[in-house]
Amino acid sequence: MAETRGVLLPAYVVADESGSMAPYQRELADGVASLCEGLRAEPMVAAKLRLAVLGFSDDVQVRLAVADMRTETAVPRLVIRGVTNYRAVFEDLLQRIPGDVKWLCGEGYRVHRPVVFLLSDGQPTDGSSWHAPHAELTDRDRTPTAPNIIACGIGDARARTMVDVATRPEFAFLAKSGTDVGRAISEFFHSLTMSLVASGHALNSAHPQLVVNRPDQFTMAIDEVGR
Amino acid sequence: MTPDHRGAPGPGSPTAPPGPAGPPPATGPDRVPWQRIAVDVPGLEFEARPPSQYAFDFPDSECEGWSTDRLTLRFASVRGAKHRYYRQPRQDAVRAAVHEATGSIVFAVADGVSSAAESHQGAVEACRAAVERILHLLDRGAQRLDGADVAAHAAERLRELARWRLGVALPQAAEVARLYATTLVAGAVRTAGDVLEAELFRVGDSGAWLLDRAGGGYRPLFGGKAVPGTPLVSNAVSPLPLVPDRPETAVGRLAEPWTLLVGTDGFGDPLGEGDGRVGELFARQLASPPPPLWLGHVLDFTRETFDDDRTLLAVWPRAEGAR
Repeated sequence: MAETRGVLLPAYVVADESGSMAPYQRELADGVASLCEGLRAEPMVAAKLRLAVLGFSDDVQVRLAVADMRTETAVPRLVIRGVTNYRAVFEDLLQRIPGDVKWLCGEGYRVHRPVVFLLSDGQPTDGSSWHAPHAELTDRDRTPTAPNIIACGIGDARARTMVDVATRPEFAFLAKSGTDVGRAISEFFHSLTMSLVASGHALNSAHPQLVVNRPDQFTMAIDEVGR
Repeated sequence: MTPDHRGAPGPGSPTAPPGPAGPPPATGPDRVPWQRIAVDVPGLEFEARPPSQYAFDFPDSECEGWSTDRLTLRFASVRGAKHRYYRQPRQDAVRAAVHEATGSIVFAVADGVSSAAESHQGAVEACRAAVERILHLLDRGAQRLDGADVAAHAAERLRELARWRLGVALPQAAEVARLYATTLVAGAVRTAGDVLEAELFRVGDSGAWLLDRAGGGYRPLFGGKAVPGTPLVSNAVSPLPLVPDRPETAVGRLAEPWTLLVGTDGFGDPLGEGDGRVGELFARQLASPPPPLWLGHVLDFTRETFDDDRTLLAVWPRAEGAR
């Protein structure tokens, strides 16, 4: 085995680009930019992360392939289009994540379990067809590189769906009723940056853990489901 | 701890010893300070920031070195870049002592859990308690070290600290862990006639290796961090104050050309399997016992992404002619 060059956390931001997000394109763009700036401001943390940004609607489009944010200068741009196809998301991740992990290992890194932050503003338009690829993606026996998934719902997203998408109930969040969607998007990206920085600090320590900060203006979706 | 005791094949034919190690000559007009040793891509360079005001009793670095008739010991512990930048104290600790009646060397290495509020103190106290307990067991003539007993003694020390800190008679295990959680690897190199025998146990993921000074290879004495069946790694540990019923142990002879290494994952992670540049660096530098301060300097090498505290303790069998 080649020498370890480092131990990395691959992180995937999967953002809803469906038509209903059109009014919030500015908040999306600002959020992605603040995420990139926030990681560049923490180079010691950014060195241990590899970030990908994916946009999804009818399909998945790569806005930023797994990148070292210390050296990445371009800010990924999300593009509003189409519907909300969850199946496309999980089928894409099912192929993408094992491939990325294999590539990083080939580059001489060791890899922590990847993490996916999913932001969606509505219910999936593909019914329940996403359940099968999601189940395969999150089954650690069938997919050894199965990621942790943090799901954040805004707008018309439902608590039950977020809980079903997230890999742990406490990883599912829903914007509080009546919250301005634009503000919720901003809070999502702020919380995402904080979570990645905190997780980066906790990596390579005696007790690493994935740190997930609840975005301001969001509740834990499991609380909504339980009502 | 020769290879036959580990049930694995020994290294290949001994090769020529590595090149000269140790600090550069101190003579000549160009007396520049020791520059940090960069391995591959260095990490960020910056002046260390002070830890919080009440962490003054936990210095950035410490090192130690001495020999008995039969053994030579060196250890060093250095604060990682992350803690130097974010104003946290070094959360690693190491202690060693000679058991005077037998000439054995007793040691403990601990890595405080970063999420525990006072893990720097927990690590030091766990080491102290472990060394004291092992010395006591050796006084009693124990044939084998009882790792569970030593770990329980260290865990009790952490509970005592929590009692004092919280002002409660019976702190919950979770409360103790929130304050003082730490890994621990401890043991002794004992002398029995002409034989040197190492005994170690661990709680958590700190490591131990045998360095083959003839061939430059490293033999891990405990398991690694790979997640079985996946290409992923996990650092998940169950640290003190939790005490397993049967801590992981390693026992065997220590003989030439092997050196016993005990370290935290701040050393073990960049070492990996020891077949890269970090392994080469330490194989060269530990070919013979370096000055203790130089060991600290070497251990403070810089390589990007490896920013954790580092602690390394090494024990060499002492050559007959050197006694």
